Amino acid sequence: MNRSEGLHVVSPAFEAEALALLDSLYRAARRLTRVPADAEDLVQETYLKAFRAAGQFEPGTNLKAWLFTILHNTARNRARDRARDTVAIDSEFVDRAADAPAPAGRSLAAGETPESLLLRETLAPELQAAIDELPEQFRQAVWLRDVEEFSYAEIASMLSIKVGTVMSRISRGRHLLFEKLKSLRPANA
Amino acid sequence: MLNCDSLDSLVTPYVDGELTDTDRRAVEDHLRACPPCYTRVAAERTVHDLVRARRDTLCRSKAPDGLRGRCAALAQQATAENAETAPHRFASAFQPAGRTRITTPESRRLPTPDSRLPRRLAPLALAASLVVVVGGAFVYQATDKSARVLAAELVADHAKCFAMNNVLGTHQSASVVEESMAASFGWRMHLPQEPAKAGLELVGARPCLYGEGKIAHIMYRHQGHQVSVFMLPNTERAQELVEVLGHEAAIWCANNRTFVVVAREPRREVEQIASFVQASLH
Repeated sequence: MNRSEGLHVVSPAFEAEALALLDSLYRAARRLTRVPADAEDLVQETYLKAFRAAGQFEPGTNLKAWLFTILHNTARNRARDRARDTVAIDSEFVDRAADAPAPAGRSLAAGETPESLLLRETLAPELQAAIDELPEQFRQAVWLRDVEEFSYAEIASMLSIKVGTVMSRISRGRHLLFEKLKSLRPANA
Repeated sequence: MLNCDSLDSLVTPYVDGELTDTDRRAVEDHLRACPPCYTRVAAERTVHDLVRARRDTLCRSKAPDGLRGRCAALAQQATAENAETAPHRFASAFQPAGRTRITTPESRRLPTPDSRLPRRLAPLALAASLVVVVGGAFVYQATDKSARVLAAELVADHAKCFAMNNVLGTHQSASVVEESMAASFGWRMHLPQEPAKAGLELVGARPCLYGEGKIAHIMYRHQGHQVSVFMLPNTERAQELVEVLGHEAAIWCANNRTFVVVAREPRREVEQIASFVQASLH
């Protein structure tokens, strides 16, 4: 069909670019929902909103961040609507926990450091499992930064929190992951 | 020099390489002099490096196949909705008057130019409303549904598949469709030899979304309008002609297969198309 008619069509380029990010969005949706069918639903709602608002997207800005923001907002609204079957997370408590000082380092075995050991030996499935076990807020922050490579500001807008909070959640999340992975392989093993 | 407390807020941006040169040097000066802080930063950096090193594997999971098609169809839906809300311009698309036409043999070949725009948009607008109606239907039980429900779901699929086809612009030959039907459904058949005789033009085939790939869908255009032929394997049903959601669905059975022709055409024409398909499908 001829898409040049009217101002309200979704351009093929926008559509193609948006759909190229489907796998990333689906993975994000899986992290936000418990059931695969809910994740698919969430992704579809995200795309529908994005296509409806395609005219509001500023070309040249980060489309992936824009779509992730819609996805996270949609997930938040849904969680609010279905408060009955969601786990309530005390956001303030989480952030206070994030402000607590990270554990101090321990003395290291000669030659090998826990850091080098971890880096060498932790495989992706193990890492994935450890990430999955993180409390929601920290998991999102670490994933969005280290896997999806968003900027602090982009993550702040997605999660609707301050940039400082983004950084403290990333920091706390990384330290929790470090402790978790270290406990799986004692330093002097 | 920085003290340990003032280092706190700088550790994460330091690990992420987001600090200015001045701040970065200040952090490094402190780390050289302070083993506990050094250890703390090393832990965070280790995780940062580890996650990035395993990034490709962590990102290996893909979205389900059907989801891509459904999301692609949403672009059409959004476009159709926007067209619907635009005043005047597309109003005629939804008026029955826009659908009247004279069915002389000559006019069968070519749609009249003034009616082309409305006709093209109408099925898309329909798709928009249908998604809401049957959006939750993930599991398809072809056997125990009423003809009306079956027809409604197939109408939805009809609209979505054509919407998607408009995006992808696929056009398949009869032999490609026949091969894919044999491969996907063990359905060895020959499509109507001369579809043009009934004013039909082959568009292509799709495994259908609602049928979880278990339903064959062959798409035609009849004088430019969308016509679907569905085949449900291992299903017997009574012959029926159902009007649902502005479409006509002609249902019949042959050799333990149910066939459904769906089109937004006058009942008489759908009946004619169905008889033609029934008679010429081998």
